[in-house]
Amino acid sequence: MTTLVLGAGGFVGVHLVEALRAAGVTARCGRRRRSNVLGLRRLGVPLVLADLDDPASLAAAMDGCDTVFHLAGHYPRLSLEGDVALATGTRQMRHVLDAAAAAGVRRLLYVSSTATVAPAEGGGPSNERHVHPGPPGHGTYHDLKWAMEAMAAAEDRFAVTTVCPGACLGPGDLRVGTSALLIALARGLDPPHPDGVVSPVDVRDVALALTRLAALPDPPPRLLLAQSSRPLHALLVELAGHYGVAPPGPPLAAADAVALADAEEASARREGRRPLVAREIVDLILHSVPLDTRLAQALDLRFRPLAETVDALDGWARRVGLIPPPPHKESDPCRTSPPTSTATSPS
Amino acid sequence: MPHLPADLDRHVTELIASLCTVPAAQIAPTDRLREDLGLDSVSSMELLSLLAEELDLDIEVEEAMAVTTVEGTLEMARRHLAAATREAV
Repeated sequence: MTTLVLGAGGFVGVHLVEALRAAGVTARCGRRRRSNVLGLRRLGVPLVLADLDDPASLAAAMDGCDTVFHLAGHYPRLSLEGDVALATGTRQMRHVLDAAAAAGVRRLLYVSSTATVAPAEGGGPSNERHVHPGPPGHGTYHDLKWAMEAMAAAEDRFAVTTVCPGACLGPGDLRVGTSALLIALARGLDPPHPDGVVSPVDVRDVALALTRLAALPDPPPRLLLAQSSRPLHALLVELAGHYGVAPPGPPLAAADAVALADAEEASARREGRRPLVAREIVDLILHSVPLDTRLAQALDLRFRPLAETVDALDGWARRVGLIPPPPHKESDPCRTSPPTSTATSPS
Repeated sequence: MPHLPADLDRHVTELIASLCTVPAAQIAPTDRLREDLGLDSVSSMELLSLLAEELDLDIEVEEAMAVTTVEGTLEMARRHLAAATREAV
């Protein structure tokens, strides 16, 4: 099969390109004009311009492709301008879907988010059937992801499989997205956080799952991917023990966490930087539901233990300096420099 | 084979200026990419990736993550260009 990966230079993208290559598939790697492709360059894979706001570039990138992985769905850097984010994300999704149809693509695998997963009737874990019937109303990120997934689900010109991974963790998270809380904790900081359900998943397992799905003759239309679902605060306390650092302070009340994130986003916008507390992360923590991943298991997809994921993330974060080295060789490697700031998102 | 611009310092400075709001003439070697020039972690990596592509350099992600200043960017480029030149002769 001829394959294109949109968003190939991203956190999941680089791992997917590697997994595809291990499976014997050299993917065409879509990239924006301005993007970090250092990891892809070292893999020696073909790079093609695929700007989601440039339909001509999408047409050229998809020419001759029968399978497209779409990992480049719009991720708004701020939640404050919801209308702009929604317009951008849905416009880009329309460009991708129309380009795929025009190019004769047979299958598109779209990476969405668990933000679209609705609570199960009567409680209990949610499965692939549970989708919010309309915009969830939990903030810009949730509403945008819902709108884009709805467009993908309505596509009838080619087959679409939508994959909803939980909180992706593992080596290579250069944007320090969902890893931010763990890295802050490992640095000995006390990251402000609300409590709620989190469903971590190893980014390498997501990549393997996508590779596997593309090879299936009849993949399901929607698939949830998570290693487990558990309360965030309890997980952070457990990880603090793992790192040998002080346990995190008590979780923030939901309203306080949202207010903190909104205030931080407003400051970040004025100062032209990324917010230290990301609103979408707060929303995801507050509104996520436990996931039933039996379908993934039935497809023989495997999720490695969380400890293995955390160790891989930790080793990578230390190599690239996100977690500083210990001040003394004799000290516990998990006991790093004293707190200097708090963060649930990188600077 | 790497592409060596006639004036590496000026080339790198103009590349940085294209990614931030500071004019090239006001960018100093000691400027920090994030604190002084407003490039966040993502933009900094995009800068170094662009540089690697333009000069055809093979830069490791870990090495790029350690670069924090304009001078550090220049040093990294000079180091890779020198190594590539040595390999070519």
